[in-house]
Amino acid sequence: MGNARLFRKLKNMKKIGFLLFFLFLSASVLAQKYYTKTGTTEFRASVEAFEPVAAKNRSTSAVLDIKTGNIAALLFVNAFHFKVALMQEHFNENYMEANKFPKATFRGKIERFNFSEIIDNKEYPIKGTLTVRGVKKEINTIGKFTKQGDKLKLAATFPVKPEDFDIKIPKIVSKKIAGTIHITLDYEFIEKK
Amino acid sequence: MSLSKKSKIAFGVLFIIVIAVFSVYKYSTKPPAEIEDRSVDFTGTYKELFREIEINAALWQDKIVLISGEISSLDDKGFVLSKNIYCILKEVSILKKITSKQNIIIKGRIIGYDDLLEELKLDQCIIQKK
Repeated sequence: MGNARLFRKLKNMKKIGFLLFFLFLSASVLAQKYYTKTGTTEFRASVEAFEPVAAKNRSTSAVLDIKTGNIAALLFVNAFHFKVALMQEHFNENYMEANKFPKATFRGKIERFNFSEIIDNKEYPIKGTLTVRGVKKEINTIGKFTKQGDKLKLAATFPVKPEDFDIKIPKIVSKKIAGTIHITLDYEFIEKK
Repeated sequence: MSLSKKSKIAFGVLFIIVIAVFSVYKYSTKPPAEIEDRSVDFTGTYKELFREIEINAALWQDKIVLISGEISSLDDKGFVLSKNIYCILKEVSILKKITSKQNIIIKGRIIGYDDLLEELKLDQCIIQKK
């Protein structure tokens, strides 16, 4: 009688053990995502002597998995705001052909990302593919991460060239548009619940 | 001292040139049109709009729409309407005047379908009616 009870107890413990093991396994495998719908992506192609050629896109979407460091971002080309309507039109219709290529996307990974060690301006390398006008380019940059309350901020800046994405600058304005375009990111992520 | 006919013509031409140059300058530096001034391309609910977008998404970029629906949730820059549209407000101060579950009509510009977060994205949103 005692043996049977003991045997049943051991069997139950085994079941609980397996259950706990699987729970721990799934908890560590489940992604933990942070996102933003209103990230600011800015580009600057100014040449000192002329009027600023710069615009901000304040509706960038991005998702970051803090467990894996995987990051994906997406923005709509027609959401870049310029101060001058003509510049915005030329940007969309001639340079970017926004009708054909409405989005610019990024898929990559934040290397050695460790969410718990971030306090203020913690730097991690970010590697990934930026796709603009259907053309892919590998990007290598440094991201600065800061925690602010329950938000996670990301600041990064990197250069690209119009040629990288087959963007043809007509000779008549080639002096006004810099050979190197600086892209600046300012994203505030919140946890996806 | 009266002006000779030639002088009058010269001044006249100069005047026209100045006006022309000024107009070209004004036109070439004007900012993009405000949403209040842009004409509406679609009026209706999200379901009706989505049907149109499914047919030809590229056609709907940069189009102005008037959507009626219920506010699903709010955040610091805008709100989700009808569970499927994210509206970025033209003025963040509007957030104080709206609440979740409220039925409203918004006027906004379509920027595109966000397949990362699976929702239609609108910006420059203003409240048309409560």
